Amino acid sequence: MSEPRHITEGTTAHKVYRWVPWAIFAFVALSAPFWAVHTPAFSIGESTLTFSLGNLNHAVAYMVGVLGLGILVGYNGQISLGNSFFMGIGGYLTATLVTDDGWSYLATLLVVLPVCFIVGMLVGLPALRIKGLYLALTTLGLAAVFPSIVRMEQLRDRTGGANGKRIESDLDAPDWVPLDTMSDVLSGIPLVGEWAFGEGGVSGREADAIWVYFLLAVLTIAAFWVARNLIYSRPGRSIIAIRDNETGAAVNGVNVPMTKTLTFGFSAMLGGLSGTMYAMAIGFVAPDVFGINLAIFLIVGLVVGGVGTLSGAVIGGIVIVFVPVWAAQIQSVPGVPERFLRGPTGTFFLGVLLIILTFFLPGGIVYGVRKIRARFVQVVPDREVAGGDEIVVAAGDATGGKMSRHGGGSALEVDEDVLDPDGTEHGAAPDAVPASAQQPNQGEPT
Amino acid sequence: MTDAQTTEAEGSTEPGRLVLQLTGVHAAYGMVRVLHGIDLEVRDGEVVVVLGANGAGKTTTMRAICGMVDTSGSIQLHGSEITGKKSADVARLGVAHVPQGRGTFADLSVEENLQVGAFVRKDKEIRSDIDRWFDVFPVLGERRQQQAGTLSGGEQQMLAVARALMGRPRLLLLDEPSLGLAPMIVQSVFRNLQSIREEFGTTMLVVEQNANLALGIADRGYVIEAGRIVLSGTAAELSSDDAVRAAYLGY
Amino acid sequence: MELFLARLFDGLSSGATYAVIAVALVLIYKATTLINFAQGELAMLGSFFAYILAIEQGIPLYLAIVLAMLLSAVLAAGMERVLIRPFDPADHLPLVIITLGLFLVINAVAGMIWGFDPRSFPRMFPEGDVWSMGIARLRWYTVGTMATVLILLVLLTLLLKKTKVGLAFRAVSSNLESSGLVGVRAGPTLQFGWMLATAVGTLAGALFVADPFRQLDPTWAQRVLIFAAAAAVLGGLDSLWGALAGGIILGLVESMVVGYVDWIPNQMGLAAAVVTIIIVLLIRPNGLFGSKAVERV
Repeated sequence: MSEPRHITEGTTAHKVYRWVPWAIFAFVALSAPFWAVHTPAFSIGESTLTFSLGNLNHAVAYMVGVLGLGILVGYNGQISLGNSFFMGIGGYLTATLVTDDGWSYLATLLVVLPVCFIVGMLVGLPALRIKGLYLALTTLGLAAVFPSIVRMEQLRDRTGGANGKRIESDLDAPDWVPLDTMSDVLSGIPLVGEWAFGEGGVSGREADAIWVYFLLAVLTIAAFWVARNLIYSRPGRSIIAIRDNETGAAVNGVNVPMTKTLTFGFSAMLGGLSGTMYAMAIGFVAPDVFGINLAIFLIVGLVVGGVGTLSGAVIGGIVIVFVPVWAAQIQSVPGVPERFLRGPTGTFFLGVLLIILTFFLPGGIVYGVRKIRARFVQVVPDREVAGGDEIVVAAGDATGGKMSRHGGGSALEVDEDVLDPDGTEHGAAPDAVPASAQQPNQGEPT
Repeated sequence: MTDAQTTEAEGSTEPGRLVLQLTGVHAAYGMVRVLHGIDLEVRDGEVVVVLGANGAGKTTTMRAICGMVDTSGSIQLHGSEITGKKSADVARLGVAHVPQGRGTFADLSVEENLQVGAFVRKDKEIRSDIDRWFDVFPVLGERRQQQAGTLSGGEQQMLAVARALMGRPRLLLLDEPSLGLAPMIVQSVFRNLQSIREEFGTTMLVVEQNANLALGIADRGYVIEAGRIVLSGTAAELSSDDAVRAAYLGY
Repeated sequence: MELFLARLFDGLSSGATYAVIAVALVLIYKATTLINFAQGELAMLGSFFAYILAIEQGIPLYLAIVLAMLLSAVLAAGMERVLIRPFDPADHLPLVIITLGLFLVINAVAGMIWGFDPRSFPRMFPEGDVWSMGIARLRWYTVGTMATVLILLVLLTLLLKKTKVGLAFRAVSSNLESSGLVGVRAGPTLQFGWMLATAVGTLAGALFVADPFRQLDPTWAQRVLIFAAAAAVLGGLDSLWGALAGGIILGLVESMVVGYVDWIPNQMGLAAAVVTIIIVLLIRPNGLFGSKAVERV
């Protein structure tokens, strides 16, 4: 295997390495709605898989939910399964305020965010004493209870009971947004423009859907930006320190109960935001959307994306929407009776995905990508700055895969994480992913 | 049990034959290396003692033999490699380990602890062995139905030794039998070990911080420091060695 | 008085069924200190096995249930070997996630194979009442279920206390490390634990859906899991008889609270169960009859 190519920090090559992926991602994010609005379809055998804008919006909404869960589970180490509960609160609060009280969608955030934060903190209080597996069980119970709460007789006026609630408000694209122009520009791209983006120009309805996308995208970017700043800050270091070694953190001056409760609140707040975004994207809320299945799906999204990463939530959101959508669109598989395919295949695939990833890639896709990338390119500190000698960088097992962190990590480990929570800065991370996050033990003595 | 029974049905063992041999054994907990190449041997009928301070690697050596820790190098029991075998498999080869802290089955009764000690045996003498141990340790007999977790430290130590011997092992490993016990109890434990040794001729490897007591029942010993054997010899040699006396015997 | 008795009988009936699934949860917990989130779905799968054997294959009901128990035990053995054993038993997070994945998979597979149309499970016990007073009716179903639960617990207790395999199980449960030292192989013993728990779960599933007021479909276990978990926690996660006590108490509480307090709708029984879990874990983690060891919450 050839040596990975070393890129020195601070050089142009380094800047290109860092910013080009973001530029590409930004372009994709900007142009995606114009592509999806035409609902491109792919045929595989007898099935047609579509990529609709509605689904895309749905996925974007869920990204924030996965992000919220990821902060709590991946960065703070509290195994909570309850984020669907807060998504439900957000979704239903928005639904009723918009439909029954005539609020605008964005205005409902003024209620949803604080309410979820406070309720989240309240839930976080008993979570101080209930840990690990037991917290997972308790929060699963919370997730299971949400549909029942919403179905209550007393709340039926507001919630629509078992039938769910249609949200009576449209999000119309305002005139000042140059969607037409953007569409023309994209369609004008030589060679691929028309093929990918159609003829240019958007109709009224298309514009509305695209506008929703951009609203959601802005909210998502804001959420990720806040999350990133939190993780990279001093409080963020405390949050991570608690995950790696709670006692050690306490001894070093971290106010553990306060930090844990606040993190719970923050995570719940993101959940509520996600719920509101769901309402915006789908326009309809129903009790069973926010039940146990969503709670577990969020875990799937987190694990598939990458526990202990932020960018993993983007992948997670896409996976938990599109896998069920596409699974439902599969019309025939040789050897499989048709009635099987009409059942909950989406749930099936998500479950299988969760199991397979836990075995083969516990750090998630993001971790896998970093590992592959580290084989080809590594960022090396500037020789002069570092003091003359070539610093040999260890083979790149980038940090990630926090899923099985044992307690007892050294302070150095914590700093490594924080300086580089994404593992993108330095290829060297000598604390490789702990044993149980790699291949599960084969015959290790019990 | 007689001398003959200790030597197993598959043929008599000549005195002096190698029961256990460790060669170049390294062991680690995750990324922390604890043993850096241990060589030691135990011959049939011997009581061998491993002395050393806290953290020197005595317990790790025991655990390495029983496959409880990542090990490399060679560990041979009666000539066959057992390195890296799981503890249950090592136990089935006739090695009984009394772990540090006794490792009592707290939820099981005293009698059940003895029964489970004989888990790998299929013969009919288990019942009589249990009764025999109740004779040797009357205190256990009095508490036979009691939950083992309610016993005192000393009683649990006796139970742990009896449990280990219920398996009629070829090799008995004792990890810090004196730890956490009051001095008088410790004396009694070692007296018992001595009589077991005299009556049954069991081969023993004992790891101990209390060097005085350990050397009192031992034939040979090793001194381990920072994961390496630094000294070995007969019990008499070690007792009279100046360095050992200064560091471990308190003179 | 009538109303009280009616509620009492209802509570006993549902409590008994929660208890049986709770017993399955306790078995796994004793062996592995894991809470098997897929236990409910496994019980549901077992109930379908029994249904298929009884209705589509025409096998007499009780035999069908026994066969279903064996079948699900074999499935559990495979599951343990392939999905559980590769992981370090001390590290809970990957194992929790695996059981969550199993939850989804089993739930989906049942829906895919058998669809969501409700079916009527054959009667395990005679229809009608043993005794009644007005609206208070003690059904044969309730008596039969309670009797089955009691017999099951006696058999399990005998199995664990009097057999060698039971001793091995209790040894592993009491002290995993020491059990290896006396020659008990953890893997096969734990596998046995999973098989036993799953078989019990199948019986529980059959009992649950055999209630003349209930139907068989793939969704019944999702809610019941939380109730069973609450029963197990209340009784003490490592106590089998505690699971029975917890189940009965929970069933009675649910029935009484929902019955007597007007403004709480039926749905809120689930909320009561969740609240129970929280309160027990906060105040007395080892529940009513659990051992001190459970307290390492």
